[in-house]
Amino acid sequence: MNNAIKKLDRAQRESALGWGLILPAALIIALLVLYPIVYNIYLSFFDTSLSGRNTFIGLSNYQNVVFDIDFWKAVLTTLIYVVFTTAGTTVFGLIVALVMNQRFPLRGLVRSLLLLPYVAPVISVVYSWKFIFDPVNGIFMDLTVEKMGLFAERFNLIGSPSAAIWVVIVFSIWRNFPFTYLMILSRLQAIDRNLYEAADIDGCGGWAKFRYITLPEVYFVTGSIVLLRIIWNFNKFEDIYLLADNVEVLSVYTYFKAFTGAMEMGQGSSLAVIQFLLLIGFIIYYVKKVLKW
Amino acid sequence: MKKSVFSLLLIVFTLLLPVSIAAGGQQSASDKGDQGVVEFDFWTTQTQSDRLATIQVLIDTYTTLYPNVKINLVPVDENDMVSNVQTASMSGSLPAMIEGSADMHVSFGAEGVVDTAATTALIEKVGKSDFYAGPLKMLESSQGGSYYGVPYHGWIQGIWYRADWFEEAGLEPPVTWENILKAAEHFYKPAENQYGILVGTKAETYAEQCFTPFAMSNNAGLFDKDGNLVFNSPEMKEAVEFYARLAEYNPPGPQTWRARDYYLQGKMAMFFYSTYIMDDLALAEVAQGSLTSENFENLKGASFDPDLVKNTRMAPIVSHKSDAGYGTVVAFSFLNQEDKRVTEAASRFVEYLFTQNAYITWLHMAPGGMNPMLKGIAENARFQNDPNGIFKNYGPEKMAEIIDGLNNIESFGIVEGNVIEAASSITAQQIIPKMIYSITQEGVSVDNAMNEAEMEMKKLLQ
Amino acid sequence: MVTSNRIPKRIGFYALVIFIVFFAVFPFVQMLSMSLKYQWDWGNPSLIPTQINLEAYKELLNIGQEEKNIPESIRELLDTTPDLTRDQRKAIVDKYKDSGNVFPFLKYFRNSLFLSLTAAFLSVSLSIFGAYSFSRLKYIGRSSIQRGVLFVYMFGGILLLIPLYTMASNLGLLATEAGTFFALLIIYLVQTLPVSLYMLGNFFRTIPFSIEEAAMIEGASRLGTIVRIVIPLSISAIVTVFIYSFMIAWNEYLFAAVFLKGYTDIYTLPLGLRQLYVSKNAIWDRIMAASMLTAMPVIALFMTIQKNLVGGLSAGGVKG
Repeated sequence: MNNAIKKLDRAQRESALGWGLILPAALIIALLVLYPIVYNIYLSFFDTSLSGRNTFIGLSNYQNVVFDIDFWKAVLTTLIYVVFTTAGTTVFGLIVALVMNQRFPLRGLVRSLLLLPYVAPVISVVYSWKFIFDPVNGIFMDLTVEKMGLFAERFNLIGSPSAAIWVVIVFSIWRNFPFTYLMILSRLQAIDRNLYEAADIDGCGGWAKFRYITLPEVYFVTGSIVLLRIIWNFNKFEDIYLLADNVEVLSVYTYFKAFTGAMEMGQGSSLAVIQFLLLIGFIIYYVKKVLKW
Repeated sequence: MKKSVFSLLLIVFTLLLPVSIAAGGQQSASDKGDQGVVEFDFWTTQTQSDRLATIQVLIDTYTTLYPNVKINLVPVDENDMVSNVQTASMSGSLPAMIEGSADMHVSFGAEGVVDTAATTALIEKVGKSDFYAGPLKMLESSQGGSYYGVPYHGWIQGIWYRADWFEEAGLEPPVTWENILKAAEHFYKPAENQYGILVGTKAETYAEQCFTPFAMSNNAGLFDKDGNLVFNSPEMKEAVEFYARLAEYNPPGPQTWRARDYYLQGKMAMFFYSTYIMDDLALAEVAQGSLTSENFENLKGASFDPDLVKNTRMAPIVSHKSDAGYGTVVAFSFLNQEDKRVTEAASRFVEYLFTQNAYITWLHMAPGGMNPMLKGIAENARFQNDPNGIFKNYGPEKMAEIIDGLNNIESFGIVEGNVIEAASSITAQQIIPKMIYSITQEGVSVDNAMNEAEMEMKKLLQ
Repeated sequence: MVTSNRIPKRIGFYALVIFIVFFAVFPFVQMLSMSLKYQWDWGNPSLIPTQINLEAYKELLNIGQEEKNIPESIRELLDTTPDLTRDQRKAIVDKYKDSGNVFPFLKYFRNSLFLSLTAAFLSVSLSIFGAYSFSRLKYIGRSSIQRGVLFVYMFGGILLLIPLYTMASNLGLLATEAGTFFALLIIYLVQTLPVSLYMLGNFFRTIPFSIEEAAMIEGASRLGTIVRIVIPLSISAIVTVFIYSFMIAWNEYLFAAVFLKGYTDIYTLPLGLRQLYVSKNAIWDRIMAASMLTAMPVIALFMTIQKNLVGGLSAGGVKG
């Protein structure tokens, strides 16, 4: 009996300590993330004016957003961006992981170099990319038009929105493949060597080994990375805005609505809410169907 | 590992310490505000660091003489000014004074953000009759008699071109529509990475600056003299179509003033630019000095032409049905403040900037680009003896022509002597640049783009 | 058959390695190349500068700028302002020389460093305790907190921009420089906090509980074991997490751009760099040199922890 009370006491104490330790962090997060999300939903029902007086307008912001053709264009652009960057990053990351899993001279150096795109600040690499694709002075046009003759004439890749989205996609793959490759590589290195030896004995070729041993082993980690990539790329702003602000994905579209021109923060808020809902819907679907959690 | 972590923490703390002390120091400085020191923000569209440094010297000199004033200089890009003022007005932190184009001030004035009384009082104090009349007119409110800004300096725009190339090809200087188009066509050789002309096609202010003289020279305006919107006219359509044709001889893709680099590299025959380029050209000449004779050999004709500066000329007028020049008057205005003392302090500072000594120092930041608004200064010997020798280079007549051009700037905002404030709002919202972008880059038909722009304008005017 | 296939295969493999390295590194090569070129060389597509120009770096780092001559007009202004004392004149001139033609790289660098270090330090400190709480202690609500953290870790950015901006503005924080700086610091803290919590939590779970138990039997309190056992045991993880948090704050652009707009004195490096590009003086050599210098600190930090990197990543990855 006495013992039971003591035990309960201990559990309570532990509980109190647990809450006490997490509280500062949890409070900050609640105050600066959860509250703003709720506040954002609240704002989306108001017409926010520059003088700071908000008037309730019900669903008008949502109506304005949904009936705007530019919004749907932005949704489409976002989809294209997310699908191609995620697929590209994952496939390229997987290839690099397979390559880096082999032994070759200078592998340590190569691994360090591959980190560069991932750790450097976006802002510091963006101008170099802009310059590479400059129509008149850039090396890309010089190589493809003058040296290799791939295209008949010089053109402005970043300047035209339909072409710029591909530059932005390649840029995203460039920046994020190191993360994907490192994650997959760490899984690859944990694969039991015996499996491959057994396959050799069975006379399996390289492709079969990849298909039946490697792929199942990295399936789960790849699935998780794909999910993270989709979420992050769906909300991506800086990488796109700074390199080519004419590629209007949802986040860039929202930014322009809320922080330039007439600064329609209310509409911006409703856009953010819609973006948020789209994302949540997708995650639930993905987790159920692909990851089968 | 342990040791390195320890030293890392140590570094963190030693770094934090001085900054927090500095932050504390800042605190006490702003506390002083209650004890008689007036502090205010000054937003300028001069974003170049060397210019900022010079303005800072003027501020420092002034505040050393009058230690109870503190002025914070903030550079703001001209394309961001409107949204930044809106943000500031929202958070209740409007700067006491801003420096920017006349259009900007007039649109702020129309919105009621400008302290018109303070602005007008300052003009009277400096001496209304000492100003050139043209620039002053651009800043007048539509009621007349009161002003939204105090004109301080200005530039005119023109087509800068390679006189040697033109001569060699036997082409007339690019003044009339026909001659401009002919030359643009002639020099457009994309296969050799050479382009005919640079006109603005990106949705930025620069596009409107290039477009305006074409509209004006075709007698096309935004408003009639009674303030009715007449944008969608056959004349305007003609000008837009012509502009779109010219844009075909641009370097690829949407372009803005940045592409003038291509001209300095000898890859372009003509470009629209303000008289600011005079200073840049003088600097380019200096940059040449870093070339050794051995490198000259490889570079000649390739990416740098040593004769470039010598062979550059300017055509300040576009002429078709009539002649049109374009330029911008840059002015100060005082934005509404809760504390009247702040506006008074800002006003006294601007008054100081109009004293001969300070004025010439300011103008000499960019000789050619910054031209005086007071007749007395233009004739001043010290002003004419600028450090980069631009007056000497171009001669006093050319400079007089530029200053005279300023007096005759044409803009959408003044029709037959009437000030149309709404035109400035249209400029501030960049409706015309957006239209030009959609036509030249997105392939929208001229009619559709103009209808769209007209709709935007009507929405704005409501 | 296998052997005859080997050599071409090997060549193909190395070609692939070279391609991958080239792809990853090329933009940095371009950056370096432009930062070393003279203005007259910009139009030349070659990566090798015709002549090496170190001026951009010298200017940014303020090396050898003392002799910069004062423009005639400024000298005349000061000379003909009779009320100035000699000392005052000198002070103004010194300040001019100091700011002069230079993009105040060092100032922005200090701002960035201060913000990132403080945010990373606070974030790591708070999350050591928080992560310990949900990896070791059992209590009601633990799993929902944990899930909440994971949730936050995935969102943020543009979705929070508008409400946070409006909140800060309503609180009056944006009206002063110090307030804005504080607001940004807190935002960086909250951006790095979920990552730190998540990564450290995963790491703490790998420490055998028996070690702590032994200490507690000897009479140490929970807090005592955290300080004396858990922190020393996971110091490498803590450093890794610190560097990740530092990187997130160092690289951040969006919030800095929206919040700091009007306050040039507290610009961070990313914002300063953007400002440099937007300013009329679009000087490629300086932009590229500044880009190099902005990237250097994080690159150097990451190279030093490279060994821990894979472990750190798989323990929770990082935002990006």
